[in-house]
Amino acid sequence: MKKEKTEELFVKWIDGQLTSEEEVQVVSLLQENETLEGELQEMKSVSGSVTEEIPASVDPPYCDFFNSQLMRKVDLEIQSRTPSEMRGRQAKSFRWAWAPVGALALVLSFFAGHRISRPATVTVAQGQEEGRLIQFLPTVYFAGESLEAEVIADSDGDVSAIFVHGLAAIRDDIDFATVTTSTELPKSYARSEARRFD
Amino acid sequence: MAPAGTSPAAGAGDDEISDHELIEACQKRDAKAFETLVIRHRGKVYAMVQNMIKNEADAWDLSQEVFLKVWKALPKFEARAKFSTWLYRITHNVVYDWLRKRKIESAGELDDGILNESDIAAGARTTPTKIARPDDALANSELGKRINIALATLNTEHRETILLREVQGLDYKEIAKVMGCSLGTVMSRLYYARKKLKTLLCNEKGKD
Repeated sequence: MKKEKTEELFVKWIDGQLTSEEEVQVVSLLQENETLEGELQEMKSVSGSVTEEIPASVDPPYCDFFNSQLMRKVDLEIQSRTPSEMRGRQAKSFRWAWAPVGALALVLSFFAGHRISRPATVTVAQGQEEGRLIQFLPTVYFAGESLEAEVIADSDGDVSAIFVHGLAAIRDDIDFATVTTSTELPKSYARSEARRFD
Repeated sequence: MAPAGTSPAAGAGDDEISDHELIEACQKRDAKAFETLVIRHRGKVYAMVQNMIKNEADAWDLSQEVFLKVWKALPKFEARAKFSTWLYRITHNVVYDWLRKRKIESAGELDDGILNESDIAAGARTTPTKIARPDDALANSELGKRINIALATLNTEHRETILLREVQGLDYKEIAKVMGCSLGTVMSRLYYARKKLKTLLCNEKGKD
């Protein structure tokens, strides 16, 4: 018989869990070795003593404090996972998906806003001397040939920044009515602006 | 957290509520039900941890860790195993993690100086006719202390197997689940642990 099998039989014999078939096998083994039964009886006795002497349940010292400490940790755990925060976390996880959309919207709105805004001309009051400024002059930008947007998102800092490169301020001295290719404006833009003055 | 008054732990006596009901409430994040579950099982967990590591302060902290892990893992508990088996499995993991961190999981390091290891080799052949009967050896006022010393001398796996079987009363399959090993390994560990304990306790008697 294999060693592992005899060990299993002896363990079951000590615990009184042998099947009838296994009992026959153990009886056979006991007959082969006169000291074996005594040895197993001693092991059984020790097992019984361990069961009797070592308590299965011992309340931890200061068990009320044990519970209060534990429940405080549980409360913290609950608070860290409140539904509103879970929703917030989900929203945060999708937040960066909007960054490129935002950048695109910024560029598009730049063009759109530029088209629908009042002509970036200096308004001259009728009857007044030409060239006299009567309003604050807004700085107007146009998109250069190399317009591009860059999105920098920092999840740790919970901030994002969108940089638009390729914008240039339109110089005040450009006369769109007579704009020429000598200006720094893109040709298509200059032509478009010129049409507005036709 | 469940609304006040809906907790199974509220109103009914703690003993009237089954573990199953408490677990279901805990899975709905009912902290009150969890506290009842803790009160019911903390003694077993603490006794197990304390018997494994023989350090009261660390046993207290590790028992806290066990229950916090239980709280976090309860939503995933599917009741395929008994709750107590699952609880002992978590306890096993926490204790072994702690032992690994302190690098004391090798045999005998917990109480090296207590007994002469040359006398207690796991597979040592015993000769009952030359030593006192263990039940005689244990028949003294320091029986529990002697057993504790002998248990501390066992290696971690043997000690845990003995504690789960003789003290906590788990069956062989449950022990295998808790310890993450085969049934054959459990049988082997149980056999050699008992044999070693017998040798230790009988040798103690011989020295007296």
